[in-house]
Amino acid sequence: MLQKFDSGLPPHPGAERSARQTWMAQLARAPQELLSQALAKHLAEQFKDEPQWLRRPETGLMMVQGRAGGSGERFNLGEVTITRCALRLKHGGATSPVGVAYVLGRKHRQAQWAAMADALLQDPAQHAPLEASLLAPLRQYLQTQLSQRQQRARSTQVDFLTVAREAGGADDEESANP
Amino acid sequence: MNNPELQHMVAGFEHQAFGSQAVFRTALTALSHPGRIQTMPLDTALPQQGHASAAALLLGLLDADTTLWLSPQLARSDAAAWLRFHTGCQFVAGAETAQFLWVALGDELPALDQLTTGSDTYPDQSATCVVEVSSLHTDGAGWTLQGPGIQGQSRLQVAGLPADFATQWAHNHASFPRGVDVFLSTPTQLLGLPRTTRILSTLEA
Repeated sequence: MLQKFDSGLPPHPGAERSARQTWMAQLARAPQELLSQALAKHLAEQFKDEPQWLRRPETGLMMVQGRAGGSGERFNLGEVTITRCALRLKHGGATSPVGVAYVLGRKHRQAQWAAMADALLQDPAQHAPLEASLLAPLRQYLQTQLSQRQQRARSTQVDFLTVAREAGGADDEESANP
Repeated sequence: MNNPELQHMVAGFEHQAFGSQAVFRTALTALSHPGRIQTMPLDTALPQQGHASAAALLLGLLDADTTLWLSPQLARSDAAAWLRFHTGCQFVAGAETAQFLWVALGDELPALDQLTTGSDTYPDQSATCVVEVSSLHTDGAGWTLQGPGIQGQSRLQVAGLPADFATQWAHNHASFPRGVDVFLSTPTQLLGLPRTTRILSTLEA
């Protein structure tokens, strides 16, 4: 499921994944330390204030749907705990972009960081420096995680061809083993 | 919710718990003392359209299980997106199925007998109308009110309600225990008119 999500394909056929959807999906899975370190200097310079909350971080349950085999009928997989929030950074007044975050788990602070990053990334002046200092390391982190997960999975892979060849081979090998 | 609406969204209660409790307390007092003008505590950012007191009242009362009908002016405005974002309420197109109604000043009030009035077994499943009016006065000419929560009689003068409201209200009162409850609002004030209250007479000044 995560692999498909990471592939950059649209969530369903016909839908186009916007740049913002892509970075929001990445921010949602960013560890808190990575977010806070990358944002610390941006925030320390300009936005020390508490953000203006539209929706304070709140934790709730959300039904997750899956498809059998990735393409079959939809079914309810189960509920997950999510934390969401929406905020506006104070520097731009009432017209500055609204940052939104939905993250798995119950970490309010993580949701806040992700929403702040989303708000900053929508600001054209901030986008380029953040792309370099936040999104690039984040993509690398997610890529590393993905390849590690794939390696773990690959280590349990059974090569049936080898088994078949051995089984179909000389009988003396079998009889040699006690 | 689409993106432009969210970009112009304003916040809800400054303090979620205190703000909504203060609103609920005011609504309760307004219905306990019909015809007595209450001042609405406004601890919230507000949409541009609609009376502040009506917006705050609905922000405090609505949740994801309630249905709301908005009069045409409000349905087109930022108030709709604001309530939807902060309360998760569901909008309905027909006034007769809604649990809550918000009627803007200048929009037509739907006929009260067409609204959800509950049943004899469940009179609580009835509609609550928030109606914006241009002014509220409790002295001088106007209606004489009587009923539970009013010691003796009280006077009320309202500007901005349809001419046949008193007649409609008499029918609403007669169908007790069924019927709708009404909140009248000016930008800062709130006044409760539960179905138990009788409007005795209309004396023009």
